[in-house]
This record gives sequence, C-alpha cells and structure tokens, in this order.
Amino acid sequence: MNWTIAGALAFWAGAWALNERLSRLEPRSPAAKRALGLLVPAIFGITLLVVWEGAVRGFDISPVLLPPPSAIWARLVSAVPILWADFQQTFLKAVLIGYAIGCGSGFLVAIAIDRSPFLQRGLLPLGNFVSALPIIGVAPIMVMWFGFDWPSKAAVVIIMTFFPMLVNTVQGLASSSAIDRDLMRTYAASYRQTLFKLRLPAAAPFIFNALKINSTLALIGAIVAEFFGTPITGMGFRISTEVGRMNLDMVWAEIAVAALAGSLFYGLVALTERAVTFWHPSIRGG
Amino acid sequence: MKRLMMSLTAGATALGLSQAMAADDVTLQLKWVTQAQFAGYYVAADKGFYEEEDLNVEIKPGGPDIAPVQVLAGGGADVMVDWMPSALAAREKGVPVVNIAQPFARSGLTMVCRKETGIEKPGDFKGKTLGTWFFGNEYPLYSWLSKLGLPRDGSENGVTVQKIGFNVDPLLQKQADCITAMTYNEYWQIIDAGLTTDDLVVFSYTEQGVDTLEDGLYVLEDKLDDPEFVDKMTRFVKASMKGWQWARDNPDEAAMIVLDNDATGAQTEKHQKRMMGEIAKLLGDDATLDGAAYKRTVETLLQGGSDPVITKEPEGAFTHMITEKAM
Repeated sequence: MNWTIAGALAFWAGAWALNERLSRLEPRSPAAKRALGLLVPAIFGITLLVVWEGAVRGFDISPVLLPPPSAIWARLVSAVPILWADFQQTFLKAVLIGYAIGCGSGFLVAIAIDRSPFLQRGLLPLGNFVSALPIIGVAPIMVMWFGFDWPSKAAVVIIMTFFPMLVNTVQGLASSSAIDRDLMRTYAASYRQTLFKLRLPAAAPFIFNALKINSTLALIGAIVAEFFGTPITGMGFRISTEVGRMNLDMVWAEIAVAALAGSLFYGLVALTERAVTFWHPSIRGG
Repeated sequence: MKRLMMSLTAGATALGLSQAMAADDVTLQLKWVTQAQFAGYYVAADKGFYEEEDLNVEIKPGGPDIAPVQVLAGGGADVMVDWMPSALAAREKGVPVVNIAQPFARSGLTMVCRKETGIEKPGDFKGKTLGTWFFGNEYPLYSWLSKLGLPRDGSENGVTVQKIGFNVDPLLQKQADCITAMTYNEYWQIIDAGLTTDDLVVFSYTEQGVDTLEDGLYVLEDKLDDPEFVDKMTRFVKASMKGWQWARDNPDEAAMIVLDNDATGAQTEKHQKRMMGEIAKLLGDDATLDGAAYKRTVETLLQGGSDPVITKEPEGAFTHMITEKAM
C-alpha cells in the first residue's frame, strides 16, 4: 500500500463520516435545507474523483486505460475550441433539430391517430416496428441517404424520439375521464375545444414524460450515429477516434461535456414541466 | 468447437507425452477481423507449427472497435499485430510498445478515386472530399496531405476529410471523391460492386513516398527484460514465419484455413483467395525489420505540419533481438 492510495482512502473515510453527520442534521430554515441538499451529493462526487485520482496514481494505471480526473480536467480546459465545435455539430444541430422534428411529428401523428380509428390500426403497429429497429442498423442507412453531415444524425434522432412521443401522447389523450368528456359534450364543445381545453392538458404529464425520455435518447442517438461516418467534427466522432489515438483524456472530456449537456437539457425540460403542469398532484405536493 | 477439440486433444497428448513439458501460452491480438491478412498466424496454428515450438497460441481477432494497443497495455495479450504509425503514436503517449518482427515489408495502402472526378494526380485533391478510416489509420493520409501542402479544413484550397465506415459505400454513392482502400481488401470490394479499373484512379501510398510499415508484431518493452518471454517470442516469431512461408506457397489452401477459423462466417472464399494473393506480394523474405523502411516511416510520421503524428524521433521502438535468434 503506498501513500497515494492510503491518502485517497483516508479522504474517503473522512468524507463518509462528514456526510453521515450532515445527512442527520435537520435544519429549520428552507435555505439551509436546500444548501444541505446540494452539499451532501457534492461531497460524494468529490470523494469519487479523489478516490479515482488516488487509485490511478497509486496503482500506476496506464493513461491509455484510465486517465486521472486531473488529466481530464487539464484536457477539458485546453481543448475548449474543439469541444465547442463538436458540441455545435452534435448538440446544436443534430440533437436539437432531430429532437424538435421527432417530438413534433410524434405529437401531430398521435393527434391524427386519435382522430381516426383507421390510422390507429394502420400507423400504430408501424410505429412499433420503427421503434424496434436497432440504431446501429439504421445509422449507416441514414448516412447513405442523407450524407455524412448532421442531417443523417438528425434523422437517427427523429427515428429514436418519434415513437416514445407517439405512444405517450396517444395514451395521454385517452387519459381524460369519461365524465369530463361527457361534461364537455353537454356544453356542446367542439372536438377542437375539447382537445385544447380538456384532453391536451390532461395529456400534458404523459407528453412531458416523453419529452424527458427523448432528451437523453436524442443525445445518445446522435453520438452513436456519428460512429458510422461523419465529417471530422462532432462528439461521437471525437469519442470514437480519440480512443484509437490513445487520447483517453480527450474521450473523457467529451463524455463530461455530453453528460453535462444531457443533464442540463433534461433539467430544462423538467423545469418547463413544472411550470406547465403546476396543477398535477405530483407537482402540487412540492 | 473444432478448434477447442483440437486444442483439447493437443493438450491431452502433450500431457500424456510429458508431464513437465506444458506448452507455453501466447495470446496474439490481431489488428482486424479474421481474414487472409493474418493467414500466416492461422496457418501456423492449423499446421501445428506453434505446437512444434511448444507453444499454445490463442489468436484474438480484432475489429472496428478494438484498439490492439489497449488490449496489450491492459494485459489481454502478449503480442499484437499493429501498424507502425499507431504503434509509434501509442509509444509517445506512454505505452512502451516495441516492434519485435516485421513480416510485412511493403504497404498495401492506396487512395482510390473515381476517374470522373477529374483527379489525375495527388495535386488534384484540392477542393475534393477524401474518405478515410480513423482509429489511428488516418495518420498516413495526414502525412501525405501535409507533404502536399493541403490543409484538411474543408476550405477551397484544402480537402474535406470524412470519416468513413469500414466499407466502400461512400465511393460507390459518390459521397466521397476518393477513399482509402487496401490493395488486398477494399479495392476488390469496389471492383465486386461493379466499377471497373477504367473507372478508377489508384494512388499507392508507397509510390507517393508516404509509405509506412503495416502489420508488424509488437510487445511491451519491459517484458523483453525477461529471458523466458524473449525465448517464447523467438519461438513464436519463428513458427509464425513458417506459417507465412507456407501461406505464400499455398495461397488457396491458406485462404481456406482462414475461412475455417472465421467464427463470424462473414468472409467468402473468392474474396479470401484473392486477398491471400495480394497479401503474398507484401510479405518480406524474413521478418527482420528493415532499418531504412523504419527510418522512412518515422520521417513520414514526423512531417505532420501543425499536427504531426509523433513529435520526436522515437528511441528503442524496435529490436532485432528476437528476429536475429529466430531467423
């Protein structure tokens, strides 16, 4: 046992004890409560990084297998222009555009399906089929159809996000209770009025559920699709090629950016959900 | 299953003959999937050349997502087949790999262009789209482009570089004007897809003076301090070269042995026989690394413009110790 590992283990034990104590505190003020809620996971995360760093240095693990967090951080800071260009290519183009089109079309098709039993029988099974297509089978075909640049990645994202949106919206539209719909009928409400005033609000939690699932799916889809042919920029491109060049610190830096972008995207959708479905019991409670 | 049975029987016979003489285990990590590019190793295993040297060799096929250097560094293999550019780049990154033998004396790397794009000489690449594989295989192209003075930023005065998958579709569908192709593999896939030699312009990297050494055998440097390991590798290289010699003399049968070992069943007989024929042209007379070819490779890799493959001349990146004993 050398000193680096011993130090890391000591830090771990100390942080554990501290967290144990912090999580038992029951502060009165909401501000303190919130601060505590952030502090405990932060300490846990820092501990993981310290143990990682200590283990890599202590056991002398080759940087081509696992680089220490400090090296990843150094790379993250020094490679900002590359990471930004990759982020633009993958996230701002492929992910966002694919997400918007995939979710939007899933939503519209769901309303069409809801209106027509014919489509319900014909389109829903087709949607099931498309959702079952493996991404690694679809991605090369999309590259063949839509070229090497971001449109082929956006197409993969559309395929991946369309179906969760479709299924959830169809289910959401069916979720308003029969008694509410009867009431709308006694008001002589049109289909359109019922849809906008009753059924869509009732479907909102389902729709947001799909939006949240899709926010992470879209990023995964775009990154994996880039493994199958890209111009020489993009997060997936960088991850797949830098592994081959033994620049594992760059791969991890790119993963960190992807994780951050995915979390922020998810968080943004969740916040919007809170604002829109404020009336829902799950949110009303706190 | 057949191989398992064979090695079981071989193991049983070895045990029966002499309890003390257990065969030494060697794990070889290939650079790519099972194909005639590695025929020598499969022949040596199949024909019992490894057994004669008292070796028990396990051959691990590679693939598009396997970096041989990582397998070697992680202890998953004793020796690997790799291209020198990626091996030297890894050495500079802190994985001390050493070339112990170089069965391939010549490079099979080419750039294949459609004639209709108007490309007649490398200078015509300006403004065109070139497809290449990455994962360390892009280094020779980068050296070539920097030698030509063409930036790869996609500007009018440069070239657009695309990462292509390991197939020739981008050329067939005109998504790229040129793509990298091995003489023994992708070139024939293009021909099989219906294009004729008249439709194509082929640039050999060797003729352009950017040839880099391909499939060599590499081990980790510190392991060479162990005389037992050196002895094991000497026997391994000796038996492997016997396999290569046999494969060169019997190309069709060697291709069939490769097919027998292809667990994926993805390879075809016609393609493998043709590949073996092309591979035979690249083999050297023995596995000794040619100092001049090594020097040329290093010089090519050092001229990378703003982004050279390696930044300084490597030291101790090869040894003749093994081949001197084996040949």
